[in-house]
Parts: sequence; C-alpha cells; structure tokens
Amino acid sequence: MANSISQTANSGGHKKYGYFLGCVMPAKMPWAEKATLMISKHLGLDFEEMKETLCCVRPGVWKAINTDWWLTLTSQNLANAEKQGIVLVDSCNGCWISHYETLKELTEEPAKLEMVNRNLSSIGMHFSGDLKVKHFLEVLYEDVGLKKIRSNVVRPLDGFRIMRHIGCHARKHGDKLPGYFDEILRATGVEIIDTPYDKTCCGLLLYFSDPHTSIFDRIGAKMSTAKELDIDAYAIICSGCYDQFERAVKVLKDERGISFDTPIVHFSELLAIAFGYKPDDFGMKYCRPIPTTKFIEKLASKEGKK
Amino acid sequence: MSEPKPIKSWVKLLEAGKKATKHQQSEESVQYPLRRSFRPAAPDIAKASLKRDFEVGLVYYVGDDIEQDRALCGLERRPPTAHTFKDALEKKRILLEKAGITTKLGFDKKKGVFEY
Repeated sequence: MANSISQTANSGGHKKYGYFLGCVMPAKMPWAEKATLMISKHLGLDFEEMKETLCCVRPGVWKAINTDWWLTLTSQNLANAEKQGIVLVDSCNGCWISHYETLKELTEEPAKLEMVNRNLSSIGMHFSGDLKVKHFLEVLYEDVGLKKIRSNVVRPLDGFRIMRHIGCHARKHGDKLPGYFDEILRATGVEIIDTPYDKTCCGLLLYFSDPHTSIFDRIGAKMSTAKELDIDAYAIICSGCYDQFERAVKVLKDERGISFDTPIVHFSELLAIAFGYKPDDFGMKYCRPIPTTKFIEKLASKEGKK
Repeated sequence: MSEPKPIKSWVKLLEAGKKATKHQQSEESVQYPLRRSFRPAAPDIAKASLKRDFEVGLVYYVGDDIEQDRALCGLERRPPTAHTFKDALEKKRILLEKAGITTKLGFDKKKGVFEY
C-alpha cells in the first residue's frame, strides 16, 4: 500500500534525490557527508543534501515515548520532502526506519494521516503520502546498479581487510539491505572478514539503560576483534551506529586506558577511494576518534608499488 | 562480584537530565512518603538530548569547531539543516506546542526544564 501511493509522484523519469543528513552526520562525520555527495554525483545521480531538515525524529526515543508524537514530528520532514519534490534518501538506519515506517503507517492508516495533518495544519503544512523514501543502499544497488558501480572502480582496494557493521535497523525489514551492503563493499575490492560480532547491535539505545554492556560487550568486543585480526578498517554506514562507536572508543580510551587503532570508516569513503578520489578530497584524516593514518599510508604504499 | 566502575560520560548525561528536571521524585518522596511515584513522560537519561532537540531541532549543536571541520572536508561551513534554516525550527516548536507534546511532556520552554 505504501509503495502504490508513494509511486505516484516519483515513479519513472528523472529522479531528484534529497539526502537527509540527520543529526550526527553534519556534526560528527563531515568526511562521510562529502564522500557520499561525491560518489553520488560521480555515478550521475541528481543528488543533493535535503534542505530544512530536523531530527528524523529518533524512533528509539520518540516511538517509545508516544507513537502519535513520533508520527507527527517525523511528518514535518516528510511533508517538507514532498513539497521539495524529491526522493528522500537516508544512509542513517535510524532516520531511514523513522521515515520508512512513518510513511508506511500513514499510508495504511487514514486515521493516523488525518491526525498528523490536523497537527501539521498548525504550521501551514500538509502531507499527502506522495513520497518515496529510500535507503542510500537501495539507491546505489537498485537505481544505479552493481554493474555501473563496478565499472567506476579504478583503484580496487584489494589487499584491504575490513570488518563491517551494518546495524540492526537495516535488518528489520529483511535481508535485502545487508546483502546490498556486502555486495557493494566487495565491488570496491576489499576483503570482508566475517566475525561472530558482525550482527550484534552497536548498543546505541542500550547505552541509556545499561552503559557497561553497551560499551564493553558491544563496541568493545567488536573493536577488540578488529585489533586481534589486524583489520585495516571498520566499515559502517549508519550515523547512529557511528555515534555509538565514537562514544565507546572515547570512553574506553579516556576512562579505561584501552586504545584501538582500527579506523571506523564510512561505506561512502571506501567507494570514493575506489572511484579514484584521494583521501584529502573528502577530508578523510580530519575529526575522527581513531586516526586513518595507517589506512592512508597503506593506500599510498599500494599506489607506489604500481 | 564488585560493582563495575561507573562510566563518567553516562553519569554526566544522567546528571544533565536531572538538572533539567524541576521536581525530583526521589527528593519529594522523602517529604511526602505517602505520595505514589509515577513514571515521567521522559526518562532522565534522555532529557538532555530532548532539550537540545527542542532548542536546535536536532540532537547536536554545530559550533565553530564543527564548522571548521566541515570546511576542511570541503563542505559548506553550516549544513542545510535547521541549524541554518531557523524557520524549520520555529515550525517544529509550534508543532510541539500545538500537538500538545510540550505540555504532556511537562516541558517549560521558557525555563528549559521538565516538570518531572
């Protein structure tokens, strides 16, 4: 039902994508924001940051407090995207689940849509449901295609061993997104190392109620494994998960003296490098809890050997 | 088994939530022992981030240091979010009020505190 309604305005023809930044990416992951914009344009997409965005709003907090409030606040972003005539694109799984599930609920339950529009009318806005919400992985895999992605790889990352963490919300509606994540990552040439911790939660929401388990048994276990296996990078795509990785790494270092040296990199950074961009083109070395120096040096050494 | 050492950043977050709460039930229950305690609309640990959300429209501020990091990465110094588009934030504030969310959450927007 959600799809049939959402396809009316955005089906076929030229697609204009609006990238929803959310809260974490613009403040803590500018390198990921830049790399995502670069690779999207590189692949020929009409892709820009969505304007006037607010918090998605966080499903883990707002949906838990009151579902109608969550629907109402999320709808401000959806109504805005509908007005801008864009396909709303999320790479943060939390933002995606909030947008995807709100759209689904509003198109399947007219009473909820009416309630939301009653609230939105107080700010002169309206949402009809004429919107398509896509995960960035869907845009790349379904709209661009693996063949085109592979054909743009000019600097294969073979010899780079990575661990990956896609995040729980990307698994909530089936195995499609984790499959896309792995296939696109492999298209860059990296070797994905499977570990028992690949599917465990980052612990972002658990941090509120049980910070020890969240820090030590989730990120601590993942990062220790990466250290033991001498992994080159930990690849993520979700900004919410990154927020937790960053928090945990800082807590472990500052409060427990446990340091890690496996950089946490965004999926888009690996694609940008594979497409021939230099780490400096998107600021890979800046503002990170774990420096990317070793990763960049390995890249330079690989280039030098050619 | 001994209690694990507290995580300072978590304690700080909890304290920030308590600081943003006008009435502490733990303190009132000493003064009014027969009063039944209730579950507040939002837990203390989430209040600091909710407050930021009401003030900025997003969970994190964008200050000078972040603007500088963004510029180093080749981006506009300020993102095209409610950090820049104040009208979007103003609409959100009205929406929070008109939908009755701030009242039911017991949030006093002038003082920036939760009742409970």
